[in-house]
Amino acid sequence: MSIRRYERPLTVKAAVDFLINEEGCATVLAGGTDLIADVRAGREAGLVVDIKHIPELNEIRWEKDGALILGSCVIVQRIAGDAAIRGRYRALSDAAENLGSYQVRCRATIAGNLGNASPCADNAPALLVLNAQVRVASPQGCRETALNGFIRDVKQTVLKRGEIITALIIPPRPPRLRSAFYKIKRVRGHDMALVNAAGAYDPDNREFSLAIGSAACTPVLVRGLEGICPPGSAADAVGDRLAERALADISPIDDVRASAQYRRDMTALLCRRLARTLMEADGPPANGIMQTGGAGG
Amino acid sequence: MKSMITLTINGQRTALEVPPSRTLLELLKGDLHLTGAKLGCGIGECGTCTVIMNGRPVNACLVLAVEADGSDIRTIEGESDGEHMSDLQQAFIDFGAIQCGFCTPGMIMSARALLMRNRNPTRDEIVEAIAGNLCRCTGYKPIIEAIEAVARARNEGGYKTSEDAHAPYVGGAAKRIDGVEKVTGSATFVHDMVLPGMLHARIKISPCASARIVHIDTGKAAAMPGVKAVLAGKDLPYKVGLYLQDKNILARDHVRYQGEMVAAVAAETEEQARAACDAISIQYDVLDPVLDVEEAFASQSRLVHEELGKYSWLKGVFFPKPGTNIAHHQKIRKGDVNDGFARASLITQYEFNNPPVQHAPMETHTAIAQAKPGGMVEITTSAQSPFTVRNLFCHTFGTPHSKVRVRVPYVGGGFGGKAGIHLEPLVYCLSKAAGGRPVKLTCRREEEFNTLPSRQGLHSVVRTGVTKDGKITALDVRYLWDAGAYADYGVNIGRAAAYSGAGPYTIPNCSIDSYVVYTNKVFGTAYRGFGHLEVLWAIERNMDLVAKRLGMDPYDFRMNNLLRTGDTTITGEPFTENHGRPDKCLEIVAKEIGWERRWKQPATRNASGRKLRGVGLAMLHKAPAMPTFTSCSVVIKFNEDASVNVLVSGVDYGQGTYTAFAQIAADELKIPMEKVHIPWDCDTDYTPYDWQTVASRLTVMGGNAIIEAARECLNQIKQMASHALRISPDYLVCENSRVHVKGQPSKGLDYKQLALGYTYPDGNSIGGPVIGHGRCIAHGLTHLHPETGQGLPALDWTYGAHAAEIEVDAETGFIEVLRIVSAFDAGKVINTQQCRSQVIGGVVQGLGSALSEKFIFDKNGCFLNATFKDYKIPTAKDIPQEMRPIFVETPYPAGPHGARGIAEHPMISVPSVIGNAFADATGIEMFEFPLDPETVYMALNYSGSTASVAGNKYVTLETPHCGRQGEP
Repeated sequence: MSIRRYERPLTVKAAVDFLINEEGCATVLAGGTDLIADVRAGREAGLVVDIKHIPELNEIRWEKDGALILGSCVIVQRIAGDAAIRGRYRALSDAAENLGSYQVRCRATIAGNLGNASPCADNAPALLVLNAQVRVASPQGCRETALNGFIRDVKQTVLKRGEIITALIIPPRPPRLRSAFYKIKRVRGHDMALVNAAGAYDPDNREFSLAIGSAACTPVLVRGLEGICPPGSAADAVGDRLAERALADISPIDDVRASAQYRRDMTALLCRRLARTLMEADGPPANGIMQTGGAGG
Repeated sequence: MKSMITLTINGQRTALEVPPSRTLLELLKGDLHLTGAKLGCGIGECGTCTVIMNGRPVNACLVLAVEADGSDIRTIEGESDGEHMSDLQQAFIDFGAIQCGFCTPGMIMSARALLMRNRNPTRDEIVEAIAGNLCRCTGYKPIIEAIEAVARARNEGGYKTSEDAHAPYVGGAAKRIDGVEKVTGSATFVHDMVLPGMLHARIKISPCASARIVHIDTGKAAAMPGVKAVLAGKDLPYKVGLYLQDKNILARDHVRYQGEMVAAVAAETEEQARAACDAISIQYDVLDPVLDVEEAFASQSRLVHEELGKYSWLKGVFFPKPGTNIAHHQKIRKGDVNDGFARASLITQYEFNNPPVQHAPMETHTAIAQAKPGGMVEITTSAQSPFTVRNLFCHTFGTPHSKVRVRVPYVGGGFGGKAGIHLEPLVYCLSKAAGGRPVKLTCRREEEFNTLPSRQGLHSVVRTGVTKDGKITALDVRYLWDAGAYADYGVNIGRAAAYSGAGPYTIPNCSIDSYVVYTNKVFGTAYRGFGHLEVLWAIERNMDLVAKRLGMDPYDFRMNNLLRTGDTTITGEPFTENHGRPDKCLEIVAKEIGWERRWKQPATRNASGRKLRGVGLAMLHKAPAMPTFTSCSVVIKFNEDASVNVLVSGVDYGQGTYTAFAQIAADELKIPMEKVHIPWDCDTDYTPYDWQTVASRLTVMGGNAIIEAARECLNQIKQMASHALRISPDYLVCENSRVHVKGQPSKGLDYKQLALGYTYPDGNSIGGPVIGHGRCIAHGLTHLHPETGQGLPALDWTYGAHAAEIEVDAETGFIEVLRIVSAFDAGKVINTQQCRSQVIGGVVQGLGSALSEKFIFDKNGCFLNATFKDYKIPTAKDIPQEMRPIFVETPYPAGPHGARGIAEHPMISVPSVIGNAFADATGIEMFEFPLDPETVYMALNYSGSTASVAGNKYVTLETPHCGRQGEP
């Protein structure tokens, strides 16, 4: 394994300083579930800066205005087990619950696979439909940027050298917003998503948002959903329209996990299920994965 | 740059200095010698390294030691004091939740973490908590039951163990004799072992499927720090092979599959060895690989082995065809197939496929070898037979057998993949090159997939002739085995699968050609029920297809044709009343699944119409596939206190045979089972000969040998007692650790008084230490006739049947197995708990083959899914809602207490029963497995299309005869 040096800063500033002052390769370590496996496979990590002991990065905080601040190093299992998040943002809760095995969820952080720009990151579609912002600390200070656009390509984000994600912010959302997350896997146990999808629906102004993962170089926030759900729309019709828009925005490939065709078809299926789940009071339960017997809509 | 860290481990504070790259797992095992946690994959997919860190379960392979600074760590070693088991440990023993034991420490840690955070977990919460811990043996169900029992008992004063003191040993549910070692993590696997002065090896593998090796430069690697030996193929002019010596220790001149070992390094540390491997430069002249088995079969120009004619092989048994890619051709000819087809009123032909898959034992292959002074060799290896490793080793190197010692300690699963010889010759050569220091090579999980052998793929063409009333008149089958680059076990699989290749049916006219064909893929070897799961996919799917063409219930069609007393098998073996009852097995599973009711109703869809339900049936059979002269031996030694040590060399790598041995020995010797000790290590220097632990033969042959050895001990006891008691031995009986005069229990002697010889009150002594030996050899087997395949190949046949009910999600292609019922004619169930565990574990392993497992190659023959990330084996979430094992007991007169082998059989025909149930549910006939979600979805939605890079082909029968009711 190739890690030359390990540092454990206790403040964001110290972390940023380590990263910018390092002349060679420097890598941020959060949960390590990707990084340590990569290092085993031969990745040079150089200086590893372990940011998860910085107290503020481990906070889950609801602001007075209703915004939710998720410290970047909050572990996924904490999100999955958080009752308030479950009550308010089901998509995020289910995405967390369906990421990896229990052991992995106990290490993996909420921002980890956003920072790694994984196309199949389970939390990405959920955060995208909730309009999440990424708070970034840089040598110049702090900035916020939309999660949509944050991941530029496979394994590429907008982050520059010396920058770290400190938090994800879900701004105040409409009070009756409903959200859901679904994932298609090869087995019922832990698996990477062949396709994952999250949707959010505000019944008060009939607005939909939809994001698809594992179907393009990056998770995709589907565009052009304005007015997709005029009054009196049937869920199935909306689902078909969502699928149409989604298919226009994704560009899945054939790979070892699935064919592009299967990914496209599953994307359409998830869109229809999301419409039913979110629009019909008695719609199928939102329960994360499709493969659980009886659940998943 | 090293850092000083402090951790609390199992309540003890420890401070030590660690380099930044070291993982917590390496720290625990290497620096702190806590070997309970295991390395199974290195990427957090398998959970064998699970420990509890600050109250949460984590994969220790994905935590850096420096990250753990200041943490509180709990490992399996902290679970109990080693004497008094914790509740979980005891329940794991009680519920048979252990087989090989490699996953057990991690599994218990995950369960412990659950119980720490949740006082009353539901079954779903238990499953969720352990789903990240892969187990390849148990099928998870006994584990879930054990944890549930502990959770339930928490509100009732805690978990208490129980034992039925009155149950007989043979036929009872004796607990595993290796339970304590495995639940405490103290069972030492080769993975855990470190010898003084030991070097670590790494291998360099071929990046291409077929290439000429132009040049290898090892100079730079040899000069690197810590490096003690660098080897390439040119240094090793040896041929290895089980039946056909076609393989080099490291590739010489050619590489024949992607993943083949090309060079190897031994160095002071694994990191140094790996760095040196990276520094070896190899120039390849890349050739066009032979990947398609049909093409390989037909070709006489593109040969995987140009030199096939020059190799040596086991003559009279195997028939390679030099100048082709055919490593073996097994023929079976019975009756006259042309005549049989002429008498048929319906002739059908179907083709079937299945891909190569991996055994995926939780412990990867690993071996330690040392070339000692004076030509002595010591090998410690994770293998299924110390004697076969020794024999093949000596064959390759010309070493006298007496100078080679092979030791096998606890083995973390094998399933056939650790039969024969694998890493041992290379590790020995590295040790020799390194001046005789011991060298250890442990395969990484990727190498286990990519370099070590697989279950080979199969293409089958089955032509069947039947009469209108459903009697098979002729069967003509061609099996093309995609053996990969080397013959290994493959040739014997081609042989065994041919003589089993018509299924458990009476076929008056039969012709089978089984060709074992070389291709440029990872080579095949034995895998649980070798050859049988594959050919019975073809045969059992075929039985359903033909029945439907006839308009006949597949149950009736099978019943019409099953082997019965008075029939002969396709090799001319008379089927007698002692062979077992395949018909009874079928009858039972059909009844349990509700076949009659199901068959007469159309497939039932659920309310939304998306979920389709169906039921299926499938038969299975297998006999041990082994040389005609297969033998084993056993020694029973009495200790001073009249306890006994039973010395065997058959390996218990999880299947529970030693527990059965202890039951049989205790029963025969009339002593309590606690008095029977079976040393776990098999050692060619100390334990007596046994051929191999394969083919479900060990309980049968070893059990017989134990009975013989025990009787010899009792004879010695009676001889001495007859002198001491002044009575003929004929008047003596043994019971309750005592020998006494018939009818006069008080007139006798305790075994203890005789264990080392009898001493009279005046000091005179007679006899001597009691020691018995027993032997067993396969009797009456013959080679098969080269042209007709007629002969007696099989010691005992075990028959069985599965019935399953599944639900298909038509929108995603996901199959859920609702119920699976399995019946086997076991002859005699020696241990009810172990037999049940074998069935559940085997069924779940079979479901892996049926539903998710397959090797995926790119168009150049490169292996694409060599990790648990993309090669999906069943997790605790993937098991059926209900699994029910049922046993029929038609005694096998030559087996111990009438027992037959049962270890492999549960896995056989699981894909077949799922395929048949799938056709029932959907009306679509599948001809290739696995039935993974995408394959199923595509078959349901894109008839005739090809789905993914896996290259699966779907065929939808277009004739109206394929409807579920089978109307012709």
